[in-house]
Amino acid sequence: MSSIRRPLQTAWLLVSPVQALLVLLILVPAVYIFILSFNRSSFGVSPEFVGFDNYIAVLSDGRFWKSALNTIIVVLIIVHVEILLAMGIALLFASGTPARALMLAAVLAPYAVSEVTAVVMWRFLFEPDIGLLSQALAFLGLPNLDWAVNPTHGLLMVSLLSIWLNLPFTFIILYSARLGIPGELYEAAQVDGASPWTRFRQITLPLLMPAILVAMLFRYIFAFRLFSEVWLLTGGGPARQTEVLAIYLYLEAFRYNDFGKASATGWLLVGLSLILALFYLRQLQKEMFNAR
Amino acid sequence: MHAKRLAVVVFKTIAFGAVLIWSLLPIAVIILSSFKADRDIFAIPPKLQFVPTLANYEALWVKWGSFFTGLANSFGVTAGATVLAVALCTIAGYAYSRFNSKALTASVFFLVVIRLFPPIVLTLPLFPVINYLGLNDTHFVLIVLYATLYVSLGTVMMRTFVDQIPREIDEAAKVDGANTWQLLRQVILPLVAPGMVSLSVFVVVYAWNEYLFAFIFTTTRARTAPLVISEMIGAIDGVEWGVLFSAATLQLLPVLIFVLLAQKYLIAGLTAGATKG
Repeated sequence: MSSIRRPLQTAWLLVSPVQALLVLLILVPAVYIFILSFNRSSFGVSPEFVGFDNYIAVLSDGRFWKSALNTIIVVLIIVHVEILLAMGIALLFASGTPARALMLAAVLAPYAVSEVTAVVMWRFLFEPDIGLLSQALAFLGLPNLDWAVNPTHGLLMVSLLSIWLNLPFTFIILYSARLGIPGELYEAAQVDGASPWTRFRQITLPLLMPAILVAMLFRYIFAFRLFSEVWLLTGGGPARQTEVLAIYLYLEAFRYNDFGKASATGWLLVGLSLILALFYLRQLQKEMFNAR
Repeated sequence: MHAKRLAVVVFKTIAFGAVLIWSLLPIAVIILSSFKADRDIFAIPPKLQFVPTLANYEALWVKWGSFFTGLANSFGVTAGATVLAVALCTIAGYAYSRFNSKALTASVFFLVVIRLFPPIVLTLPLFPVINYLGLNDTHFVLIVLYATLYVSLGTVMMRTFVDQIPREIDEAAKVDGANTWQLLRQVILPLVAPGMVSLSVFVVVYAWNEYLFAFIFTTTRARTAPLVISEMIGAIDGVEWGVLFSAATLQLLPVLIFVLLAQKYLIAGLTAGATKG
């Protein structure tokens, strides 16, 4: 017995720093704000228990619903456009790429760019009269992206930025999954006279599905946290029209000092993330507890 | 048949061209423009040929000295967070790869689930505590937070890399009388070094570019480069684009070069961490 227990003690010792960081800096704070979400609380004021008042206050706040709606719209755009683009580029690369290493480097490059720098880039490209893209739009007779004034345009620009920044991530997941599909499958299909479309439907799509789901899940979870792009571009304006949930939470906490309401928003955000991830977590749980 | 093949070639050329423009145009525009005089930046149509100048960089140095402090802070925070995260994830990844029990498996599950917690929500409870401890506006806070946010993915990633090392190597070292620490340092570490590079690419990019925590937990002393750039965007209403471009270029180039050099490790890491997570 002791010969089994001792190595396990070593194992726990080795994982303890990582676990300690997560417990101290994420789990304990999470529990704390769960408690806080049932209290009225602000800076330097001792919390007072108010039951579900904060949740009711949040859920009856029109701005919350506005920001929730914005978040959902932006997330749906970001995730789906990104998956489609990443899939298109992955299949394009898999069909034979000239100067493969260089092309890969080009597609990966935006991964290195910070949100702040991306905002500088895209703002300049769409700057009225002088930006490359605003001129191109004018040349085509299209209206410019009026991101500072028009909330819809603002959210479009946020989506564009976010897609641009995160496409490399989604692309790599799908591209390496595509490279993992054995070439013989396609050869056999070709011998059978399957059209490119049939090959895509019967081989590529089903075999890429697990990777697509993983990529979608990661992107859903991360896109839900969207903060920096919006904050740096529009700050949630004009007139709080482009607010997303993370901005709403930030403003409640740090501008209006309503920690209780902000905590309730936080847990609603966590709840939404969890619902999104539930499917994945169930898969993961099955895999981990059965396979290992 | 011939026409069809030609059509495919034309289509692929256009598609690759579009991919290149999409990925590189925004980056190229700011880097090139940072070396342009104002009148060249705003020239219509845009100029590809111009007399390069360092005027923007000089102006940045004179007007925004704080940007260079920011770069130094970014450098320190990134180095600290990367060393911390990689070290902790490597030993934890080793343990999860080599040892097995129900409770350990449950703790990996915890590792993955806790990552779902959005960072913005964390700022609420941490803000008063960090203030109370007098730790706000320190490099220390950013280093620990950045490392913490990456240890989940990092540990799973390192586990996958250690999994690829045959267990017989461990057994052989144990037969030779090595204890766990010696085994880790002398046997596992050299073999898993490429995996550590992979992980460090992720942490470096994240820590170097992170905005949210830096925005909330720093004010002056530990302010990182992205924060100073965001101030430059906000402060100048008639936006001094040239100066802004020089700052953006200096912030971007080091990490861009690093990512491109470490491309292979980035891809290996994503496949190890994300798809097996």
